[in-house]
Amino acid sequence: MNSKADVTRQTWLDFLNVKPRFTLGNAVTLLAVLVLAVLAVATPGFLSLPAIRSLVTTVSFTGCVAIGMTFITLSGNLMSFSLGASLSAATLVFVATLGAGLWPAILSALLFCAALNALQGWIVGYFRANPIIVTMAGFAIITGIATAMTGGRGLYILTNAAAGLKGNIGPIPGPFAAFATCALIAQLILSRTALGRRIVLTGTNPRAMLAMGAEPWKAVVWSYGLAGLFTGVAAVLMAARYGSGDLQHGIGMEYSAIAAVLVGGTAIEGGRGSFLRTFLGALFIAVLQSVLVLRGFSTEWQRFGMGAVVLLVILLQRK
Amino acid sequence: MLVSLLRNATLRPFLLLVLMTAILGAIGGERVLSTRTLYSVLQQFSLLGPVALALGLTMMVRHFDLSVVGTVTLAGCVAVLAGSQSSTYGLALAALVGLAAGAFQGALIINLRLSSIAVTLGGMLTLVGVAFLLTGNSEVAYANRDVARIVDSTVFGPFSLRFLIAVAIFAVAGAVIGGTRFGPQLYAVGSDPKAAIVAGVSTGSIVVAVFALSGLLSAISGALLSFSLSAASPSALSNILVPAAASAIIGGVSLAGGRGSPVGIAGGVLLLCCLQSGLTAIGVEPYSQDIATGCVLLLVAVMDGAELARRFGDWSRVFAGTQKRNGKAST
Repeated sequence: MNSKADVTRQTWLDFLNVKPRFTLGNAVTLLAVLVLAVLAVATPGFLSLPAIRSLVTTVSFTGCVAIGMTFITLSGNLMSFSLGASLSAATLVFVATLGAGLWPAILSALLFCAALNALQGWIVGYFRANPIIVTMAGFAIITGIATAMTGGRGLYILTNAAAGLKGNIGPIPGPFAAFATCALIAQLILSRTALGRRIVLTGTNPRAMLAMGAEPWKAVVWSYGLAGLFTGVAAVLMAARYGSGDLQHGIGMEYSAIAAVLVGGTAIEGGRGSFLRTFLGALFIAVLQSVLVLRGFSTEWQRFGMGAVVLLVILLQRK
Repeated sequence: MLVSLLRNATLRPFLLLVLMTAILGAIGGERVLSTRTLYSVLQQFSLLGPVALALGLTMMVRHFDLSVVGTVTLAGCVAVLAGSQSSTYGLALAALVGLAAGAFQGALIINLRLSSIAVTLGGMLTLVGVAFLLTGNSEVAYANRDVARIVDSTVFGPFSLRFLIAVAIFAVAGAVIGGTRFGPQLYAVGSDPKAAIVAGVSTGSIVVAVFALSGLLSAISGALLSFSLSAASPSALSNILVPAAASAIIGGVSLAGGRGSPVGIAGGVLLLCCLQSGLTAIGVEPYSQDIATGCVLLLVAVMDGAELARRFGDWSRVFAGTQKRNGKAST
């Protein structure tokens, strides 16, 4: 792919190592995106500024978790069942440490969430334990301990300390700016660093990693740690947005996140995918949801439509 | 001898069960070892058992059926909505829906060569979506309250009809896997799909059959639960996946496929239910059950880890090395 002819006309897509190819699957995907775009534009109320702003704000929370999930999927460990619980726990940590100042609170929430998941990654990678079981256990233990410590009640932000996180950067809502930045950073890690290559190689062929003289488990720990870090970003954004740390915040988040990852087209078996895909996948789902709401479909039709579309998109990705 | 007993994956959960009951009984005494606790264990078993068996069967053929959650929910709603006249009809229709959903997903996985996690994730979201659609996003009450009494009242001893149905399901599954060609074929597909094809096993139809069974079993469990509660809700029960997977794994099923048995899974379910009911009977807060389940799950995951032995070897070498060096320094 990277022949010398390509190098002469490098675009930003080359820089990010994203290679668009035209296959039947891609053509169908493109068609689906076009249909949705036309449908969205034709929907009255969709193109208003408040609607778009609320859309991109809501997508940011799931989106950041999906960015994290992509690391785990890429490293060949399918999905994590504990990212939602980690998110809930991290919102609690954020609110609890907010008294020490905004930056210490952000830092502690991010580090806490990253460490929590890196630990699971260590168990998965070092012992080659099954990622599904380990993260399910992580979910149960995190939920249990968090409930024990809070008594199941939420913590509320009583001061104005986190108000800065709710603001806008120019016309762009803060959460969305954070989400886009996260996607870009993650993509840069993936395509421009040795770590990114190792994560992909671990997902493609861990034995080749060993043959190369590198330990696959280190890449696995890094991918879980990064997953936790980006989930932590979502936690900080959500806690600031809703003014509370609560165990309810993350419920079902892992399913929405993996749906965004798969709809974006990252392969579930690992090794193939990108963060731009996840970014677009999350946006696709959010736009679809918004179109369904604006067209007056009831909650039950929205739930059904989302499920059917996710299933359909997964079916379209057959090799 | 004890080690060889503990290595027997089918017996392990039962041994642990005896051990745990002894400990909980010693702590709680009368409160734990009562018929009421036993009844609550058996009732939990009748909900969790078939779902764990469903998930366990798919794990035995190296797949994973996330959609059991969706099937349990949808089947519960179908049974209540369709069973207003006759509960048998409702149960039958729910079972049929589960069977069809499972078979359809299995066919997609085999024919399109897709990952079972991806397909069943989509399946789960769709099935829950259908449940929302059918009930109109609300809880539906089941008018025929006699059914709840029939399903839950004890037939003899502490055994309710629901529990007997669950036991019958396990007995049939055990007999089919132990006594017919389906069993060896299932293990062959699970341990080495390519070798199974060479040996003449129709691997595709086995996997589709397993997913159909998975749908059927989860549906029966969901329908009976709705009857027992006299209500169905599309948003309930999302937290059955973790205990179901936990009990299958404690029961000796390996996600690498080819290992496990219905009897072992039954033992795993029983262990988990006893742990939860026992802790509740002692008066421990519900969250500690979560922690306990999680720790057991984590322990089993590490013990089944492919590289545990190697890592242990690494550590013991490192440890022996430091000791030797220390020894040299002292002499």
